[in-house]
Amino acid sequence: MRRNHLWYGLALLLVLLVLAACTAAPAAPGEANAPAAPATSGEALTLRLATVSEPSTLDPNLAEDYYSITPIEQMFLGLTNINNATSEIEPELAESWTVSDDGTVWTFNLRQDVKWSDGNPVTANDIVYSVRRAVMPETASPYAYVLYSIKNAAAINQTEIPTATYDIESLGVKALDDYTVEFTLESPAAYFESISSMWTLRPVPSWAIEQFGDAWTDPANIVVNGPYKLVEWRPGEKLIFEKNPDYFAADNVQIDRVELNIITDQFTEVALYEKGELDVAGEGAASLPAEEVARILADPVLSAEFHQGPRASTTYVGFTMTKPPFDNVLVRKAFSAAIDRETMVRDVVGSGVPATQFAPPGIFGAPDPEVGLGYDPEQAKAWLAEAGYPDGAGFPTVTYRYFSNSLEEALAQALQAMWKETLNVDVQLEAQEFPVFLASTAPDVPVEEMPEMWRLGWGADYPDENNWVYEVFHCTDSQNRPRAACTEADAKAKQAGIETDPEVRKALYAEVEQLMFGEEVRVAPYYHRGYTILTKPYLQRAYPTFAPVNWDTWRIEK
Amino acid sequence: MATSTHSAAAASVARPSRSLLQDVMRRLFKDPVVVLCVLYLSVLIVVAINPSAFAPLSYETTSFPDKLAPPGAYATSEKLTGFRYLFGADRLGRDILSRLIYGTRVSMAVAFLGAGISFLIGVTYGLVAGYSRARIDNVMMRIVDIIYAYPTLILIILLQVFLTSLAQQPAESLNAFQTLLVTLDTRSGGLFFVFVAIGAVSWLNMARLTRGQTLHYRQQEFVQAAHLVGATDRRIMGRHLLPNIIGTCIVAETLAIPAYIYTEAFLSFIGLGVQPPMPSWGSMIADGYGALRSAPHVIFFPALALSLTMLAFNFLGDAIRDAMDPRLRNR
Amino acid sequence: MLRVIIRRLLWFIPVFFVVTGLTFVTMHALPGGPFDSDKTPPALIQQMEEVFGLNRPVPEQYLIWLSNVAQLKFGPSLSARGKPVEGFLLPGLAVSAQLGLFALLFALAVGVPAGITAAMHRGSWRDRSATLVAIIGVSVPAIVLGPVLQYIFALQLGWLPVAQWESLSAGLIPYLSHIILPAVTLGAGLSAIIARLTRASMLSVLGEDYIRTAHAKGLARRTVTVRHALRNALIPVVTYLGPLAAAVLTGSLVVEQIFAIPGMGRYFVSSISARDYPMVMAVVVLYALIIVGVNLVVDILYTVIDPRIGHGN
Repeated sequence: MRRNHLWYGLALLLVLLVLAACTAAPAAPGEANAPAAPATSGEALTLRLATVSEPSTLDPNLAEDYYSITPIEQMFLGLTNINNATSEIEPELAESWTVSDDGTVWTFNLRQDVKWSDGNPVTANDIVYSVRRAVMPETASPYAYVLYSIKNAAAINQTEIPTATYDIESLGVKALDDYTVEFTLESPAAYFESISSMWTLRPVPSWAIEQFGDAWTDPANIVVNGPYKLVEWRPGEKLIFEKNPDYFAADNVQIDRVELNIITDQFTEVALYEKGELDVAGEGAASLPAEEVARILADPVLSAEFHQGPRASTTYVGFTMTKPPFDNVLVRKAFSAAIDRETMVRDVVGSGVPATQFAPPGIFGAPDPEVGLGYDPEQAKAWLAEAGYPDGAGFPTVTYRYFSNSLEEALAQALQAMWKETLNVDVQLEAQEFPVFLASTAPDVPVEEMPEMWRLGWGADYPDENNWVYEVFHCTDSQNRPRAACTEADAKAKQAGIETDPEVRKALYAEVEQLMFGEEVRVAPYYHRGYTILTKPYLQRAYPTFAPVNWDTWRIEK
Repeated sequence: MATSTHSAAAASVARPSRSLLQDVMRRLFKDPVVVLCVLYLSVLIVVAINPSAFAPLSYETTSFPDKLAPPGAYATSEKLTGFRYLFGADRLGRDILSRLIYGTRVSMAVAFLGAGISFLIGVTYGLVAGYSRARIDNVMMRIVDIIYAYPTLILIILLQVFLTSLAQQPAESLNAFQTLLVTLDTRSGGLFFVFVAIGAVSWLNMARLTRGQTLHYRQQEFVQAAHLVGATDRRIMGRHLLPNIIGTCIVAETLAIPAYIYTEAFLSFIGLGVQPPMPSWGSMIADGYGALRSAPHVIFFPALALSLTMLAFNFLGDAIRDAMDPRLRNR
Repeated sequence: MLRVIIRRLLWFIPVFFVVTGLTFVTMHALPGGPFDSDKTPPALIQQMEEVFGLNRPVPEQYLIWLSNVAQLKFGPSLSARGKPVEGFLLPGLAVSAQLGLFALLFALAVGVPAGITAAMHRGSWRDRSATLVAIIGVSVPAIVLGPVLQYIFALQLGWLPVAQWESLSAGLIPYLSHIILPAVTLGAGLSAIIARLTRASMLSVLGEDYIRTAHAKGLARRTVTVRHALRNALIPVVTYLGPLAAAVLTGSLVVEQIFAIPGMGRYFVSSISARDYPMVMAVVVLYALIIVGVNLVVDILYTVIDPRIGHGN
């Protein structure tokens, strides 16, 4: 009798197991909307990729992060495209475009052979719809600000709904006919060509959005116009894309099916790659950790499949310029010159490029060779002494605040050690949880609650200096996190955005970079991040510095 | 140990000759393994009290060219000429042995205090609840249930973020209690909030375990017999129930120690624990994960230290349990 | 028994209000919001918060949330814009539950026999080595054990897949081969805990009078162990099963990350650090449900194993 009880307990466990298996079965997607058995057809070429994080959205108007933009790039065409190999702007939806003499009216002539995957033609109205949707405050697009150069976009976007109203017709975008779209800008902006490649203003299917609402990007509902189409999305596991047969250049697309696996752990990603279960590793991630890069470089097979280069992103130390002792330019100079950028890149980060200026290579207008302030320990000591703190004597303990992750922790400790070594000053580290960090270093935080120094970084939205020195540091038109007062650098940064002559623009930006980071030292840029990608030898592809990759240009040659 | 002096043999009332403590001690130290464990733990405590006396370098001495240097390698920088990294160097070229020694302080504090808080609150709570049964038991366990139903991690993070955000507010906006909390935290180098967070959630398991055991033993004949001879509730709990359940509880508690150490490491990792570069074993293990395949020694030594400490605690727990077991005294 | 179950279920109501109310208030008191970013201009962040109703007073937001939950709507995730949180949590729960069950089964299958053996041969080399193995099991963290197992069994020997998940619909062999390594990684620490608990409580039981009586009656050692001792020895183990089950369901974050398993562990941490309020609330409710459910099962198991523990007061 008693023994039966024990068996009863075991049986209960078993029932639980079966229950779990049952709940699992319907939850496992796959059968319902699985495509016509691509796994069994031996011909289908499948590319297996990984991403560190699930895309937060596949809606072009709403996307803001790399993980979302990559799949969006494959499904939705832009007015223009950034060539993966050359980083030049090239036609995509627009066959050609013209700019008015005053530089404020941009007219794009669209291809007439582009269709949505439901058969509708892609027209200028789809673009107008998309731009309006991105700018409308109700959409709450985090990236609406990149469209602020369009006439009335900022005013409409910042309308205080629901109390105030706006006139969407006043937005500077209109369809002249089915295949011609015209943008009117607030002021001349040579960088609008770059902006026209961005995902935020790509045409979206108004009818699908109106029918399905937020669910329009679900595999069952999504309507696309690019080379690939989402066919399945298993949350936390993978996204599966298939070649879109209705894409206008479908003949040039070789790979039939792409699996985007969500692999959070970078070491697992590399292990999967080594086992041959992924074709590419490191693509959808921040750079691989220095230790792993060192191991790859020491491995004869892996090192031959390893590719690295600059990515359009810069990491830098922010100074609170209104808080002593960093209100003294000599102190800022000393702290910037004490950062050993070579060591940082080689020993701590393991990838990337040492930086002395803000904008990285590959951005239009970024000075080449770099200007600004580099590692110079003797000069750094001299500057600190000149500021009244010889060999760090009398220098108060200051704080460097950052958000916690493995890399940032290593960077912070390395910075602390370098400042101690060169300047003999004590810097206290303060790690915070990411949202707390953002809130505690926001531009509106009272200066007494600000740390003297903190971690900052910037990645390109579009490949133009305007997106860097002007949109990040202009004393009134940007967030101006270092709280700098206006100088000639700000005026020049603004002027450079309005100029139309590329050479004049470049010259102005070179001056601005030198002024802001070489003379005023508003912040201390110390490295441009790099990509670290492993690719199987049978896969032919490009490694873009800035743009999202284009899978349609990739080739598998086994 | 305080409790053990009160606990007499379970059913037998008359046992005049030796004191229990002497008896326990005598049998405890008969075993050479136990002596070894006690020695090891004593060394750790001494090291934790004054790590700078033992560590060859400071925990923050950084020599970038020596990053991930293997155990036994010599330092390359001029300042450290002739210095040998016995346990190797970490990713920033810091001596792992020195960091391990400094890390003992945080990890020992977390292990002892976490376990101590959890044990004291949990065992007392569970004993009272299990012994009372009926309504009091019901109310007490429902309270545990409520806290329990709150995800531990969320509770810890909420507590930690909330407490650390207190610390960042200007001092004049805080009331007396908040000021006290913040002062305690800054004095302990950020450790106090870690203890609060771990302590707040860790006693629950112990309370449930103790209650379950108490429920079991209070049915037994010797407890009923004690009732019959008119023993008070306190006496029954302290002298009859506790000695029977304490062994299981000690063993369970020591098994929870790595969880505390990892909780601290996790909190440090998400920026809520001890601020770097101050090391702890947990954060050294987390750091070493990145080099698991390229330089396994970085994770090996802190993991080894943790395992040895656990082992010592467990053998000791077993031995204490055996030595105190009333039924084994005559064997 | 039915009364116990009903009482447990009714008990969920106060738990629900206390836990959700507390979480709601503290989450909103934390610094930082879901749309904060170092890129987005503050005015735009304000706007987005307005659209998602985050500018209203917290009590009002809580009431709105309650009324949505009453209709079984947990709202759109703020970090995965527009997607209902259930769409992430439920498939994740199904996966985590399977992983957790296998880990628990592994832990029981290893831990209970190991604990019994150690207790039967107390003080011997078997006992000491069982302890040694158990301690190594519990003190080697998953972030070490996982990659080491991965390296040996997947990369070097090639017997098992490195990582990733395969559902049962893909076939039993692929399903099991993908679940073995993560289940062992997750279960290793648990098996140590179970082994140690079993040993400890087995020892106390073995010393009791009725066991001696049974021995005295001349019953075979094996019969005594299984019939009389084991049942009582398992009580603390069962007490611990509840917390352990909850831990494997929700604490599998690291294992899920290492083995790229689409479970729900990730949402427990990421939703907090993303300030994804609807996700945090859904996670908290789900967790409370799991705990109440697990407690219910443990209570039932209790009465099964030890009929003397009644619930009638």
